[in-house]
Amino acid sequence: MKIIKQVFFFTLFIGIALAFTAGNFHDDQTPVALVKKIVKDVQYKSADETDWEAAKMGEPLMDGGEVKTGFQSLALVLFTDGSGLLRVRENSILNIYGEKSKRAMNKNTFIQEGVVGFEVNKQSEDEEFKFTTPTMVASIRGTEGVIDGDQNKVLCESGLIELAALIGQKETGVLTGGNAAQVTEDGQLKIYEMTDAEKQQLQQTKQITIKKIRVETEDGTLEVEYYEEEE
Amino acid sequence: MKQYKLITAVLILFLALSELQAQVSNTVSNVKISQAIEGKPVKFSVSLYPVPGISEVVLAYKPYDESIFEYFDMELLGDSAIYTLSGDYVRTPLFSYYLSIEFETGVVETYPLGIPETAVPLEVTVRAPSVKDSEIIVLSPAPGEKVAINDMFISVSMIKASEDVDIGATKLYLGDVDITQYALFAGDLILFYAENFPDAVSLGDKSLKVEVFNKNGEPYHTVNSDFTVLTSTELAEAQKQFITNGSIEAESRNQSYNDQSTWFNNLSVNLKNTYDDLRLNAKVYVTSEEKADRQPRNRFRGEVQYQDWLSAEFGDTYPKLPTYILNGKRVRGVSGFINLGFFNIEATYGQVRRSIEGTIIEKYNRLNAPLASNVIAIDSARYGDPFAAVNFGTYDRQLFALRPSFGAGEIFQWGFTYLHGKDDPNSIDFGSRPRENVVLGTDMKLNLDERRIQLRTQASVSLINDDISSGDITDEQIDSLFSGDGSSSFGSDKDQFVTLKDIASTFITVNQYIGPLNPEELSSLAAEAELQLNYFNNRIRGSYIYRGNQYESFGQDFMVTDRKGINISDRIRMIDNQVFFTVSYESLEDNLQNTLLSTTKYDNLNTSVSYFPRIDFPAITLSYKNRTRQNDIAPTDTVNNIFMIDDVTSTILAKLSYDFIAGVKHNTNFSISNIGFEDESISDLDQTFVTASLNVSSFWNRDLNSTVGFTSYSSTAGDQDYSYFLLSLGASYRLLDDKLNLNLNINPSFGDFKRNGFDFTAQYALMQNLSAIFQLRYYSMPDLNTTNSVAGLRLRYTL
Repeated sequence: MKIIKQVFFFTLFIGIALAFTAGNFHDDQTPVALVKKIVKDVQYKSADETDWEAAKMGEPLMDGGEVKTGFQSLALVLFTDGSGLLRVRENSILNIYGEKSKRAMNKNTFIQEGVVGFEVNKQSEDEEFKFTTPTMVASIRGTEGVIDGDQNKVLCESGLIELAALIGQKETGVLTGGNAAQVTEDGQLKIYEMTDAEKQQLQQTKQITIKKIRVETEDGTLEVEYYEEEE
Repeated sequence: MKQYKLITAVLILFLALSELQAQVSNTVSNVKISQAIEGKPVKFSVSLYPVPGISEVVLAYKPYDESIFEYFDMELLGDSAIYTLSGDYVRTPLFSYYLSIEFETGVVETYPLGIPETAVPLEVTVRAPSVKDSEIIVLSPAPGEKVAINDMFISVSMIKASEDVDIGATKLYLGDVDITQYALFAGDLILFYAENFPDAVSLGDKSLKVEVFNKNGEPYHTVNSDFTVLTSTELAEAQKQFITNGSIEAESRNQSYNDQSTWFNNLSVNLKNTYDDLRLNAKVYVTSEEKADRQPRNRFRGEVQYQDWLSAEFGDTYPKLPTYILNGKRVRGVSGFINLGFFNIEATYGQVRRSIEGTIIEKYNRLNAPLASNVIAIDSARYGDPFAAVNFGTYDRQLFALRPSFGAGEIFQWGFTYLHGKDDPNSIDFGSRPRENVVLGTDMKLNLDERRIQLRTQASVSLINDDISSGDITDEQIDSLFSGDGSSSFGSDKDQFVTLKDIASTFITVNQYIGPLNPEELSSLAAEAELQLNYFNNRIRGSYIYRGNQYESFGQDFMVTDRKGINISDRIRMIDNQVFFTVSYESLEDNLQNTLLSTTKYDNLNTSVSYFPRIDFPAITLSYKNRTRQNDIAPTDTVNNIFMIDDVTSTILAKLSYDFIAGVKHNTNFSISNIGFEDESISDLDQTFVTASLNVSSFWNRDLNSTVGFTSYSSTAGDQDYSYFLLSLGASYRLLDDKLNLNLNINPSFGDFKRNGFDFTAQYALMQNLSAIFQLRYYSMPDLNTTNSVAGLRLRYTL
């Protein structure tokens, strides 16, 4: 019994110490990102919550925060260190992590599923900007492109992306502007020139405004929604 | 009587000298210059005194590391002249400028008075882009963004801010309203949601100001950002409807100058329309100063622009092609560009000078007509006599320029420019020597390694015909130059000459007045090449210029020609961008085509160190400049030694600026300069100028601020001393819920130059978008028994 008590108090002590330490780590309550724009169904939850909530414009996202977009929905996410923005396309789920040290912030976006377009400014030497999917890690230094988590694919419009597969052969490589990369099932990294379809996907990812066309028919009104290209 | 005349002559001479030496002006009331930050545009706003007959105001501008001024036509609007200088010209640590004011009589006056003989250009400190600018980031709204009020939120990031910053003390202002109390401070982020405080935000154009303080409570930095708040419906409509902004301004003012009273009435309309990516702008300025016997003072301009690749301007346009060919000169006509990236084209066509008929001074018959340059043959049937002495008029001059180029310019661009300008000999009856000009040029820019390596080059050659009144040379005239076998004493072949003439005459009138006469000596070539390297906190620039003595472009009135040489400069950033050290050396010489008596060499060494601290300490700039001019005429050359040049000008300058809080916030600027001119020529005209000035601006509360300034000037030229003291007192006060804004400035001067002056303006907002501005200026010079004033009323309606 005494041993159980000792184990209990020891565990409690460790737990309190860890909590205290963790509390210290979270003393800096600076959000990592903000939801700048919302189209239709965008939800979020913080790392320590289990329920999703509807996101609103300006919603702060703390370290580990999760964002989910629904059908024909879109979220524009802005990093609070001014390092760039994400266009989270429909049916996507991602986690945003940020670790601040002095005047720098290391960012990591974990894309569970879906497609995310990004515009990332040049990072300073002591900063990281990473995307992670279940199959790969992409380190960004200042570039534009798209991460397609569903097809394990990266499209690079400009700049430079360092890639590493996380499965199988775990190949690594560098992706430059105008090229695409795909991680195969055995962990190979295939780098090739972007196809016309992929170039079109790149442009479509930039569209953030939904416009409606209403067509009056004998049977009623037909609404067609489409994305308008960002200025 | 003789003694009286002598005293009068001495007095006039003294007064004339006083006018020249004073670094004040009877034409320019004040010059306002927006904050000069490296790489950012700088706006010059010149207020003019009520002096009649000003035809042109030209800004002469020179970066610290160069010695040749560049000249820009300012836009004359009523009693002011404005010009916005491109950020490409703005470099640390200082720039020099002066104004050249041209009168209809042909007289040219400078501001400060007496440049270059007895005064020196003014210098303005250029601040390096502050590291603090990147420390405080306005994440949302983005600059210029249109946001719906329901979705509007402000987000300011301090993640990059220095540890000295007290984030909790940051103040947020929306316009003049302090909204800090409504803001949420989340770590290094400040958030404000309009939805939670609907009364705090109204619709319309908004200006966000973020005031940041350090841990001692002292101002650290201020960031501004403008955006527009709309209703959701307006925002949706804005994306598919024309948005019209603009203003209408009407002014009437009376100017009194030396007992001469004149009324001026002006009306200006500015309209800006946007529809998606399409921009339509229009500007009309109509003034009672428009007269048929002077160059146009009215201004009309229309502009259509689609995105960044298509633009067309009509009316008074100010096209800019390579600077040696066409540099912002007013062209009344059409200008435009199409930028496709891989191929671009710019073009302009129109009138750069309108015809002004000359006037007859005196008519003569065949017997009594004197031989004089302004005595010409006139139509005796129309004027009664066959000859007359005339004041020559001005020919109508049309200009056409075209510049195709390849490459977007981000990395590479190569352009070719053709310019043709021609006077119309039939546009006036009494004129002399109509001219024609053709310029061909090429320019290239190359940016490598993320613009760390920048190469710029341009080269142009010009052809000028100084008298096209007789037209092209005729075949008979050509025949007379050649002997029967087709050869001439100057070694040319007649057929070859005719072929060349036929080809050249499609571009320019070919006759005996065409130049250059010595093209093989590159007399009409103007070229420059500049390489800039940005590595290891150094910005090294090296350039070479060559400007032949006969180079001339009708699109560039102000270029100094007959110069060649090098310029090398380095600006070093140190201690985390707090200290800037600049050194530049320039060596030029003239007489490139041996057309002058001797060759003069110009050597300039400029050095400066600037300290922009991030602690509570003044910003300091110290500068030393040494300029030498020397030609090869010896003092012992008794025939030519009056043309001898051998002088050294040394300038020592210190500038300090300091913001501090003593009860309220004060901004102080102090500068002192000593210029020594040592003349080693036989004239031995040594001179010394010492100027010291102190200005304090105090911000007592949001409604009241004041300025106090002192300037002391003294000069010594030979055994003659000249000094004066200038006091400047000013205040600005807002009252009646900001509807009324009062400004008063009093500027008396004492000593050898005495003047009393004050400037008062009252601006009252009659309605939200209608304001009335009353202005009263007065100045007098007791010694000259002169009193002048201007009183005017201006109504401004904002659409």
